Amino acid sequence: MAINAEQALAATKVGATARVDAAVLPRFTPGTRVRTLNLNPPGHIRLPRYIRDKEGVIERDHGVFVFPDTHAAGLGEKPQHVYVVRFSARELWGPQGGAKDELLVDVWEDYLEPA
Amino acid sequence: MNGVHDLGGMHGLGPIDIEQDEPVFHHEWERRVFGMFLPVFATGAFNIDEFRHAIERMGPKYLATSYYEHWLAAFETLLVEKGVISADEFAARRVALAGGMN
Amino acid sequence: MSANHNRPLSDVEIRVKALESLLVEKGLVDPAAVDALIDTYEHKVGPRNGAHVVAKAWMDPAYKARLLADGTAAIAELGYSGIQGEDMVVIESTPETHNVIVCTLCSCYPWPTLGLPPVWFKSAPYRSRVVSDPRGVLKEFGLELPEKMQVRVWDSTAELRYMVLPERPAGTEGMTEEQLAALVTRDSMIGVARVAVPGQEGART
Repeated sequence: MAINAEQALAATKVGATARVDAAVLPRFTPGTRVRTLNLNPPGHIRLPRYIRDKEGVIERDHGVFVFPDTHAAGLGEKPQHVYVVRFSARELWGPQGGAKDELLVDVWEDYLEPA
Repeated sequence: MNGVHDLGGMHGLGPIDIEQDEPVFHHEWERRVFGMFLPVFATGAFNIDEFRHAIERMGPKYLATSYYEHWLAAFETLLVEKGVISADEFAARRVALAGGMN
Repeated sequence: MSANHNRPLSDVEIRVKALESLLVEKGLVDPAAVDALIDTYEHKVGPRNGAHVVAKAWMDPAYKARLLADGTAAIAELGYSGIQGEDMVVIESTPETHNVIVCTLCSCYPWPTLGLPPVWFKSAPYRSRVVSDPRGVLKEFGLELPEKMQVRVWDSTAELRYMVLPERPAGTEGMTEEQLAALVTRDSMIGVARVAVPGQEGART
């Protein structure tokens, strides 16, 4: 029933990755301009408000991971690519943003559309 | 959800309070909450995304409570919602422990 | 005598005892497992792990290349792996670009390399302001960056866990890996500080 101390310590070394070994093709590639969607669901979403409906560039593709929005609602893993999207500080904060500065945020494919 | 946890870009939340040589845990109860994290997840009662969402559902209390109080609230919420422990059991146990000494 | 004993249990203490006692009675939680986990993260896992990774990357260009290409695998080479570090990304700071990590939505942090996060990292002021005013926040930590440098703020919204590979400071030529590791602070691997040699400007005691 309950995990014992030995099992608990062993589990800490392995962890529980959210990466999914599924052959899912990416919709976007690094260098592509994208726009985040203006999603405002009542349930769980990992797209912060400060990067909604903003334009950025795909910096990196992390691979395929569990989608938290469905997973938190008991609707399954819906595995998909997670990208690093690069935004200029000016895009996010207007003139208050640092002229040279950038924000890099992990964004699931379902939160994106082509710019 | 557009909850109070979604803090990026907010103003007016105060100075960054840096404690020098901060201990890993500030209270014994924090240790117990931390240590229960993995065993409770290992029961399979809920997943990490449900856990985070339960914290997001705290509402304004979120800003007035500490990190491990967030975990405690999430455990209490989810264990009741998933039928592992009933709200009555929790209430009865708290009454039984009230008046206890450290 | 500890001032904390022989006082009534606080409300939160009662809730925690209620939770643990019920879970134990139902056979769902073994208190020895709880004890072992507390001991591990209070005493055995911490930023010295990350400092070892950084020092090795500074000494060994091939290791550094592996670290930047696949953080998880390279960090595991040194024996650090597991919970809240299953998918690691290491970001290199350079003379041109300074990187800093945050989790605006909660408190995601790379436990295997840095241990458990400090309270400020998990709290509203840092999480809210470092994304919109990183230079102001860094100044509060005592780090003032030249205008010509770029700041990149990485927000860990997913299950990737980030750490910064800080720049190796000047004046460390000839140091051993152990000596280098001793210079690397937790704050430099989050990105709110740079690494300095004691006695130099910017060094922390």
